[in-house]
Amino acid sequence: MENTDTVAALATPAGESAIAMIRVTGGLCEQIANDAFGLAKRPAPRHASHGSYRSASKEVLDDVVYTFFSGPKSYTGEDVLEICCHGNPLIATRVLEDLLERGCRQSEPGEFTRRAFLNGRMDLTQAEAVMELIQARSDRGIRVANNQLRGHFGKQLEQLKQRLLATVATVEAYIDFPDEDLPPERKEAEIEAIRAVLTFCSRIIDSGKYAAFLRDGVKTLILGEPNAGKSSLMNCLLGFERAIVSEEPGTTRDFIRERVIVDGHCLQLMDTAGLREAESGIERQGIQKTVELSEEADLFLLVLDGTLPSPALPDSVAKRITAKNCIVVRNKSDLGERHPLSEQLCGLEQLSMAAISGEGLLELRERIVKMIDAHLAHDRDDLILVNARHSAALKELAECLASAIRNFEAGEPAEFVASELRGAIEAIGRVLGRIDNEDVLDVLFSSFCIGK
Amino acid sequence: MSGMLDEYDVIVCGAGHAGCEAALAAARMGARTLVVSGNIDTIAAMSCNPAIGGVAKGQIVREIDALGGEMAVNADVSGIQFRLLNASKGPAVQSPRAQCDKKVYALRMKHVLELQENLSIFQATVTGLIFKAGKVAGCRTNLDVEFFGKSVVVTTGTFLRGLMHIGKNKNEGGRMGDFSAQTLSSSFLEAGIELERLKTGTPPRLLGRTIDFSQLEEQKGDERPSLFGFYDTRGEKDLFHVEQRGERLAGWKPGTDQVSCWITYTSADTQRIVNENLHLSAMYGGEIEGTGPRYCPSIEDKFVRFANKTRHMLFLEPEGRNTDEYYVNGLSTSLPFAAQLEMLRSIEGLEAVHLLRPAYAVEYDFAPPTQLFSHLESKKVENLFFAGQINGTSGYEEAACQGLVAGVNAVLKVRGEEPMVLKRHDGYIGVLIDDLVTKGTREPYRMFTSRAEYRLLFNHGSAELRMLDHASKHGLVSDERLARMKRKKEDVEKWIHWLEVNRMGHDSWATIVRRGVGKDELPEELRSLEASTLEQVLYRVKYKGYLERETRQIEKLKDVEKIKIPADFDYSKLKGLRNESVVKLTETQPATLAQASRISGVNPSDISILMIALR
Ligand SMILES: Cc1cc2nc3c(=O)[nH]c(=O)nc-3n(C[C@H](O)[C@H](O)[C@H](O)COP(=O)(O)OP(=O)(O)OC[C@H]3O[C@@H](n4cnc5c(N)ncnc54)[C@H](O)[C@@H]3O)c2cc1C
Ligand SMILES: Nc1nc2c(ncn2[C@@H]2O[C@H](COP(=O)(O)OP(=O)(O)O)[C@@H](O)[C@H]2O)c(=O)[nH]1
Repeated sequence: MENTDTVAALATPAGESAIAMIRVTGGLCEQIANDAFGLAKRPAPRHASHGSYRSASKEVLDDVVYTFFSGPKSYTGEDVLEICCHGNPLIATRVLEDLLERGCRQSEPGEFTRRAFLNGRMDLTQAEAVMELIQARSDRGIRVANNQLRGHFGKQLEQLKQRLLATVATVEAYIDFPDEDLPPERKEAEIEAIRAVLTFCSRIIDSGKYAAFLRDGVKTLILGEPNAGKSSLMNCLLGFERAIVSEEPGTTRDFIRERVIVDGHCLQLMDTAGLREAESGIERQGIQKTVELSEEADLFLLVLDGTLPSPALPDSVAKRITAKNCIVVRNKSDLGERHPLSEQLCGLEQLSMAAISGEGLLELRERIVKMIDAHLAHDRDDLILVNARHSAALKELAECLASAIRNFEAGEPAEFVASELRGAIEAIGRVLGRIDNEDVLDVLFSSFCIGK
Repeated sequence: MSGMLDEYDVIVCGAGHAGCEAALAAARMGARTLVVSGNIDTIAAMSCNPAIGGVAKGQIVREIDALGGEMAVNADVSGIQFRLLNASKGPAVQSPRAQCDKKVYALRMKHVLELQENLSIFQATVTGLIFKAGKVAGCRTNLDVEFFGKSVVVTTGTFLRGLMHIGKNKNEGGRMGDFSAQTLSSSFLEAGIELERLKTGTPPRLLGRTIDFSQLEEQKGDERPSLFGFYDTRGEKDLFHVEQRGERLAGWKPGTDQVSCWITYTSADTQRIVNENLHLSAMYGGEIEGTGPRYCPSIEDKFVRFANKTRHMLFLEPEGRNTDEYYVNGLSTSLPFAAQLEMLRSIEGLEAVHLLRPAYAVEYDFAPPTQLFSHLESKKVENLFFAGQINGTSGYEEAACQGLVAGVNAVLKVRGEEPMVLKRHDGYIGVLIDDLVTKGTREPYRMFTSRAEYRLLFNHGSAELRMLDHASKHGLVSDERLARMKRKKEDVEKWIHWLEVNRMGHDSWATIVRRGVGKDELPEELRSLEASTLEQVLYRVKYKGYLERETRQIEKLKDVEKIKIPADFDYSKLKGLRNESVVKLTETQPATLAQASRISGVNPSDISILMIALR
């Protein structure tokens, strides 16, 4: 049996762990390594290297350690690529998603071992032992997934499935029972129904900023006057020195992005240049950038030096800030607070802390989570559940529905529309478990009075 | 000439639609065949509606024809009204259907059986099977005559402990006026074959001259009838061998002089009468334990489950040319006689109707088909085959195609050859058998196009192309016809290629076909092709993208389809397999890895483990 396709899978258990390993096997490995790590030639086999993983759209997803194994001297006997990224589930998910985008298929449980065995890299007892482990793990995985599917996202998917089944059943009813006493067929109504399912599906894809959160996390802009302690706050949140901290105002010229997980939420922190009228040209550019970033930010952390009077915010930034998306951090609490907040900032959420010592950090994290939960993430499940498999399936589902609509509108016979809808059923089956033809028939016979 | 009591190669029990095809297939393959049936006046009797074909079923009939079966020609010759269903949709789901003259259908089939070389017919009720060393060896009959055979095909339909209900009234029998096979069931149980109960029903029959047709809507046949048989590949020898004996049994050309069906509706009164009498219905009164089909609800069901639908459409279908009996399609019921009559007379056009035969429901034993291999041989008893309604299906076409497959395989088994297994991608017959043996059924199983994952490839006109390999390998059609079938297939492939590579102006012909083109605008060479061949060429070119997608899916599965699982495979010894899967796999005993993967509850990692173990 020949396996020409390339498959990828998360090799470490899903969830937050120190590192996450993603394994890829098949013919595409070399090309992916070259492309993602910008290599000019076949990577040296069995050699662990550092590199920035660039997605197909050229965005750096993470700094990773990767190892290439040249077939047949590999686990599976094919080319294998192992990628170790930071153990943040969202990062691992994004890498996996990118691999799928590059033409890999999500592997089935045990598929690596199967390939290893079929390519003669493993004897039967070895293979059996590994499979036993995998079986146990995939069972646990299924349990976890099932638990999650009881949540809000799961309910939405279930609703999506029901709507899809109802639509498919209608199209199929007119195909299989032309001689029955069905209500007159209304193509427009069927198209509308498919479109409604598509809209619903797209809404799930977009809902709770699902896609954007998945890609980037909650975009969090750290604002403030130069020297207020923005870089210090960022470092404090990240837990290590990253931004340059200096006494001289305006040193954080270019903005810096970092990802941090706060209680299951992924934040994309963006430290900006200060907000003051700048003297140097470079600095002015930095400020311009801050204004731009504030346009796309989901959450604002406005850092003030508590020892100084509150600064006035530029209008372009001020108009983006509301009580639902901004926390005023009155920094340098260790030095004492001498000035009340300005009127402009009074209605906002605020807290005092000392970025330099980390005092008040726990409270800040709690406030951030609360704010995201209340206003930004529609549901926590969205963030936990959406993994590469789900999102690939939902995308495919949407594509199938869109072509079903196109076919219908182009006047293609109903069975070709149905053919696309079957693709859609299969796609959602990959998330919720295979949908048998009997399920469609059940819906069909319970919604139409059919039979002679 | 061998004696009647000498050992046969194949014994077929029951000459219904499954039995007839089984017997003919076996005999035509040259096996010494006997068909024993309880009453040879009811050979190929149509127990229910007087029609053959319909959506998906019509395709099955054409597949039967491509495999050398008799149903297609028999329906064409006895057809009195022909309609192509789904004509407004695409070719894949268009299906021929024919209203048949019930008596002519049955009589002609009996005659075909009588004239078939290698085939003996005998009237007797089979009372039990004879087993020898785990194999079947023959059957006993009510006449105390025993027959011995190397293989036995059971096609007893609804007759096993058949019990008919009309309200509280009960009669034993497989269908009204017929007997019930009371003892055969115990023979199966004795051999370890499990049996369960199913139910089905049939509507009343009315006297035509008491129907007021002037009030009813007429439904005519198609002007140009779509026939079931492939006559383009048949030579003189393959055609109408009964008729050619000069007996002119069916004295008309298929499709001429068609008769009409009539459409009427239930009224508010009908609904009231049904509701008032619900407690008297055998189904609703709790008289019946078997499960009825979802797709064939009784009128009680329709009014109860779809209470907001105030009227239901009914078809009045003539049962033949030489009878005034009408079948009321859509009015299955198990209400008592008096309620039936009252209900009928509340229907437009039937105000003064005379009821010839009341509707009834029938309960019967069936042998859950997961006890069979894909070639329809029992897993429990060697050389014993099952086909037709006893396997939990419903419908003449479903029965006939199984009969054909079982008949062929009974012969192959006796010869010690590999069985003929139709695959899901071969056609509806493959889907039907695979569904039955892999998933079993909880209601009488009927075919729908939506059951087939490769539906677009199963257009009725391509049946011969799809069945060609099986027909050829087992000699199921005459050499002459086989040669024509092969030529047709070559022609189709050749012309598809031709259209792809040849151009007119900028565009390839294929592109022009896809855009839509009238037949007379096609190049001369193509126009001169046989119409049925041209149709296949154009369909495949026009919908190439879709068809190729299905073909690719088939190719992907073929590898797994090739991995066979030995019959005695011990799943409990497999490390890592979940218990649930062990139970399911042991129960079903899938023949291939692909079949295993279709069993519900068996997941991909189980399949991985299995694949490893099978290497
Ligand atoms: C009341 C009723 C309602 C139906 N309703 C529908 C419907 O709504 N839709 C639909 O599609 N189909 C319906 N059918 C089913 C359709 O008639 C059958 O599916 C089809 O005829 C089955 O074919 P078969 O060859 O398996 O069995 P049958 O056609 O039933 O043939 C069985 C044959 O075996 C013979 N036989 C039985 N037992 C013995 C024995 N012990 N010894 C010797 N001979 C024996 C009988 O004489 C008979 O010739 C109905 C059938 C009945 C009886
Ligand atoms: N006392 C005190 N000093 C702080 C605190 N946070 C930051 N600083 C100091 O303030 C100065 C400017 O900090 P920095 O983070 O570079 O400010 P930025 O320009 O806003 O990024 C540095 O010297 C820091 O050490 C704090 O909480 N307390």
